[in-house]
Amino acid sequence: MALVARGQRRVGTRAALIAAGVVLLCAVAVRLADPQRVEWVRTYLVIFGSLLVQALPFVMLGALAAALVEVFVPIGTLERLGRLPRPLQLPTAALAGLAFPICECGSVPVARRLAQRGLMPSAAVTFMLAAPVINPVVIASTFVAYRGRSTTWTMVGGRFLLGMLVAIAVGWVIGARSKDELLKPNPEEEHEHRTHLARPEARWRRFFVHLGNDFLFMGRYLILGATIAAAIQTFLPASVLMSVAGVPVVSIVVMMVLAAALSLCSESDAFVAASFVQFGPSAQLAFLVSGPMVDAKLVTLYAGTFRRGFVRALVVGVFAATLVGALWIGVLAG
Amino acid sequence: MSDTRDRSAGVELRWSPVRVAGTVVLGAWAALFWFLLVSGRDAFYLSTRTEWVVPVAAVLLTLATFGRLASARAAQPEPLRSRELGLMIAMVVPVLLITILPPATLGSFSAGKRSAVAGAGFSTAEGDIATGELTLVDVAVAQTTPEGERALAKRAGEQVDFIGFVTRYADTPADEFLLTRYVVSCCVADATVAQVRVVNVTPGGFEDNEWVEVTGTIYPIGREVIVDASMIRDVPRPERPYLSS
Repeated sequence: MALVARGQRRVGTRAALIAAGVVLLCAVAVRLADPQRVEWVRTYLVIFGSLLVQALPFVMLGALAAALVEVFVPIGTLERLGRLPRPLQLPTAALAGLAFPICECGSVPVARRLAQRGLMPSAAVTFMLAAPVINPVVIASTFVAYRGRSTTWTMVGGRFLLGMLVAIAVGWVIGARSKDELLKPNPEEEHEHRTHLARPEARWRRFFVHLGNDFLFMGRYLILGATIAAAIQTFLPASVLMSVAGVPVVSIVVMMVLAAALSLCSESDAFVAASFVQFGPSAQLAFLVSGPMVDAKLVTLYAGTFRRGFVRALVVGVFAATLVGALWIGVLAG
Repeated sequence: MSDTRDRSAGVELRWSPVRVAGTVVLGAWAALFWFLLVSGRDAFYLSTRTEWVVPVAAVLLTLATFGRLASARAAQPEPLRSRELGLMIAMVVPVLLITILPPATLGSFSAGKRSAVAGAGFSTAEGDIATGELTLVDVAVAQTTPEGERALAKRAGEQVDFIGFVTRYADTPADEFLLTRYVVSCCVADATVAQVRVVNVTPGGFEDNEWVEVTGTIYPIGREVIVDASMIRDVPRPERPYLSS
């Protein structure tokens, strides 16, 4: 008898129902035990729940946009963007983020679909990184968070400019790599693709199948990311990092690490960045630019979407470009 | 499960276990967002500024659930595999945790780990601090700028009335506590702390995390604000436990 690969065993209806019953029994046991009586457990569950309740709707919106791209944008349409003069391709992709007021969780499925539908992977990644930083909602929230301070326009303009530059720099590093070099294969999608080739389904069916698949695919990584981010938020005291607030380069690195650890939504992170008054504008800018591009929940989303080598390059590229850019803006702003 | 036939192509369609399982997960998340909306529990996770995502998600997820169910039959259905089932269950666990456990809020445990409210990020201006009824957000914001401190200092000796929960650190004297409230911009993950020191408290009278209403006289002293309590009484946790920016 052939050995069945781990995790590939078929599950029948009865086994699935038994599994569902066991899960429900565990839920009842958890309710009776009420682990929230322990304060750190309660804190953890509140933060975990809030991250999901806020981010999942944006994943849904991203999956909706991605399914529309997949089903209704003809193959080849996006390839035409590749005919733009090369120096314009990446800035155009970054500026496209202005028209996409959605947070970082929603931009990942859209970028994945854009690359699958023929957009140059470097442009898709540039769009993915720029959209959560430069979209109008985020820029407006940054203005509100910093209004009344002498650094208002440094922070608003700096976030927009540095966000664009970092996204373009990472896209430039990707260069001419193909989508197969970047994207991880998704077995569910491959099955749907084979099914579609064997017998094409109606558009509305394909739309809902892709919508559901993208939501389920991204949702599982978001849950993993929220699990990690909530643990960090529960146990990491912000004061630990304050001792290095005055050290020029170190303070920027620390704020980037903090942004990665906290995993805040790009639409709210300016309010938290503004609360770190001990840190200078450069370090706060680094927080605002690198956070929506690389954080604990995003890295798990990237790990599910992109190949490991690319995720490594993306993280290093974002950190390096943000560090250099934040130092540069710090010098310019005095 | 009943089979059907695609009339246009004459191909037999069968239920796809993977698609059906995905429908259940989508339905569970849709139900969660309806539950948050109807029960008002969204206030335990989101600020007033972002609560719009709850009805939007409820509607979109419901549509996605019905759409997925309607397209859950395929000519070549893929079997559900154990790994996939495990992932689907993992996606339902947060839904169960949020719905079955009693509503909870951040408490004293986080107060020392989170940063204080950032003045410029909130709608309170020096003018609001100088006149009218003082709120905990006014006080917290005032402590972050010299102008705010000056405006608040002019209110010294006035009567205030604040609602928050009791926080005590290891070095807090027995006849004092810190009255704490979290201020949220988007979701609880970005909560910052608004706090005043309450003095003239009956030692042992109030437990950590207990919600109280403090009436007393305010004395801003530099970057610290003290409230000399004339009355402290237990109150139920507010329906909106977090203040919104």
